[in-house]
Amino acid sequence: MAGSSPATGVPGSRILMGVIGRPHGVRGLVRVTSYADDLTRYRWLSDDRERRFVLRWRGEGIAEIAELIDGNEVKVADRTAAEKLINVRLYVDRAQLPEPEEDEFYLADLIGLVAFDTSGAQLGRITAVHDYGAGASLEIAGETSAIVPFTRACVPEVDIASGRVTVALPVDVTAGTSQVAGSEGRAVARSHR
Amino acid sequence: MARSVWKGPFVDGYLLNKADAARASGRNEIIRIWSRRSTILPQFVGLTFGVYNGRKFLPVQVNENMVGHKFGEFSPTRTFTGHAGDKRARRT
Repeated sequence: MAGSSPATGVPGSRILMGVIGRPHGVRGLVRVTSYADDLTRYRWLSDDRERRFVLRWRGEGIAEIAELIDGNEVKVADRTAAEKLINVRLYVDRAQLPEPEEDEFYLADLIGLVAFDTSGAQLGRITAVHDYGAGASLEIAGETSAIVPFTRACVPEVDIASGRVTVALPVDVTAGTSQVAGSEGRAVARSHR
Repeated sequence: MARSVWKGPFVDGYLLNKADAARASGRNEIIRIWSRRSTILPQFVGLTFGVYNGRKFLPVQVNENMVGHKFGEFSPTRTFTGHAGDKRARRT
């Protein structure tokens, strides 16, 4: 993310959506690494120098790119021009993203928020959001390092505008390994069939 | 070769005891486990486990669709978080 305060979720910040890679062929096509569902959904993408680009997919990861100059699209037409765009990072303004549904949050909004516990003590900052198919979880680093499930019970309050979340840290219960696993496991499993 | 059906699903026995205790307590708990090899059983649905991936305990909120899978499937050991882009997370 670029051009944003430490609370990266503040509206008006820009979100990194992709990077232009090497040219493809001699007609100005480029390879683009996309971090978005569909980069062409956005009206235009901007780079670090505030240039605006319009992108159209022409194949798997290959795009035709045009620069917006005074509202007119100037197509990148040859390989030499495309080579000048290698490693250009493409951003969209946060305001361009569609509104998320209720209880849905953009990862870009969540990362960087300051976490407080229910008594108001600061825990740290959200550094990552994990989701591997078993529900999202927030990784908090700082005074307290923790990974908490992104549930109403554990994260009762998310206030993106003020850059803070309230976290009710769950109780950690350690399941010991005092019993023999193999035969014990089979026996238990059979009795539960 | 697939596991013989007559054996039933494999699960480390102590997980069942912990699951029962967590359900009875009714608290907001994460059960930390190292047993990535255990099968997720129907009696685990609704509970949250912290499954160790070699570095940290990743929360796994068990739902019906996960029954029959192993805990380890939901706690990858090699991760690249990538860029946030326009990805969204849903609070459940």
